[in-house]
Amino acid sequence: MPRFQAACTLVLAGALALSGCKFVKTEDEQKQAAAGAFNPDKLVADIWDSKVVPFLQERAGTFQEVSALATSNLDAAAEKYGHKEKQGNAPWTFAAKIDGVIVAEETKSRAGYVDVDVDGDQKADMRVAIGPAVRGTAIRDSLKFVNFNEFKNQIEWAQYGKSFNTHVNGLLLEKLPREGLTGKTIKALGAYPLPAKGQLPLFVPVTITVGG
Amino acid sequence: MNITRRLITVGFAAVMAAGVAMPSFAADLIAIITPSHDNPFFKAEAVGAEAKAKELGYDTLVLVHDDDANKQSQLIDTAIGRGAKAIILDNAGSEASIAAVQKAKDAGIPSFLIDREINATGVAVSQIVSNNYQGAQLGAEEFVKLMGEKGNYVELLGREADLNAGIRSKGYHDVIDEYPDMKMVAQQSANWSQTEGYSKMETILQANPDIQGVIAGNDTMAMGAIAALQAAGRKDVIVVGFDGSNDVRDSIKAGGIKATVMQPAYAQAQLAVTQADTYIKTGKGPAEEKQLMDCVLITADNAGKLETFALSE
Repeated sequence: MPRFQAACTLVLAGALALSGCKFVKTEDEQKQAAAGAFNPDKLVADIWDSKVVPFLQERAGTFQEVSALATSNLDAAAEKYGHKEKQGNAPWTFAAKIDGVIVAEETKSRAGYVDVDVDGDQKADMRVAIGPAVRGTAIRDSLKFVNFNEFKNQIEWAQYGKSFNTHVNGLLLEKLPREGLTGKTIKALGAYPLPAKGQLPLFVPVTITVGG
Repeated sequence: MNITRRLITVGFAAVMAAGVAMPSFAADLIAIITPSHDNPFFKAEAVGAEAKAKELGYDTLVLVHDDDANKQSQLIDTAIGRGAKAIILDNAGSEASIAAVQKAKDAGIPSFLIDREINATGVAVSQIVSNNYQGAQLGAEEFVKLMGEKGNYVELLGREADLNAGIRSKGYHDVIDEYPDMKMVAQQSANWSQTEGYSKMETILQANPDIQGVIAGNDTMAMGAIAALQAAGRKDVIVVGFDGSNDVRDSIKAGGIKATVMQPAYAQAQLAVTQADTYIKTGKGPAEEKQLMDCVLITADNAGKLETFALSE
């Protein structure tokens, strides 16, 4: 009997040696070479107007459409509005547009936000980040054309994610009024990760208008 | 005897090649190499990987490198010598380990990395790592909230050569530094160690008695810090850790440490073995080499559901 096993092992090993171990090198060498020059703020600034905003404009549904489809058929919603890394266990991040009324505001915390009602029931449907501290990496994670595997490691990937938040804060959020926001209308385009059950979606804008 | 046996083996190999299906009787070997099991996190990885490997019918070789790159290199040689079909590795340094993983690859043995990345792709088949940055942000957000967005605090860093120490610190600071009233009065490495966490905390406390919080890069250092604080009668200081160990869970339940972040260590190790199994059987790797697993914030609210780096529903 041990001989059978030896034979099996031998053949298997042969087959493996022939079929296995084909690695495709991608942009790694370039990335390594450019490691000293890694500048996430510039990378983000370079694609913001040309790719990021147009991608989300093209991809987003209204928040009502996106959340309804995510509830009834998550796979379909993911296909139409969502993105996540191919492997791993991150939640889907959805592209969405909101058009509603601010029903609550938190501007004392550095991680400021407004709660927004989009369906007219006076209840908050999502929480919109208004900075200056913006949580998470929703903008980065909503984009189909950026990929963790193209970065040297988690640190650079993290810096890149943070740069989207810094960019939107400098461009839009820090110019928003910080008082008397409740009752005003709000329009925004952005992204939010699928929230845990019973929690409000945390929406990060890439365009935002508050007024009226 | 040996020659006869080899001849017979070759004979059978020919039969096999002709397409006769033959069941396998002795198991293939998977090597599981991690840092020291003194830290329950690494133990959970090894236990998770071993359980999944056994379930899939493999023999296992469980080894520890004690965060020593030279020892790791020797263990890789051992795995190669023993004819392992795959190596599950929590490595001993993101730069130093590239050569070791390459050596295994050159010997035809695929590596599946867990917990820690290496600074290279195309050498390992998989790199399944916790999203340390996302986890650190969760921990830091809770820390800032518990501190009321203000106060003096201390950061205990992990071992410098370990990329995760840097990522977690970056995640912490990307959140905390947005709050101008949060002031870091000391930042020191305690090398992931509980005893160092204790002694460093003791010294820091003498120099800076006016602190309201401690944020640690892992749970063992947080356990050391809380012990030193309690010994000094400082039950008011907020301590937050990272890992989600049962020790910290128990401390949270007892009102000691306030929060930690669970890394899915057990699930990660099992996923690595599943991918190794697929690779051994089909030669196919995962769709992407680098894979991030999100972490979960643990507070008094959900600590009761935590057991061995996994949350029950």
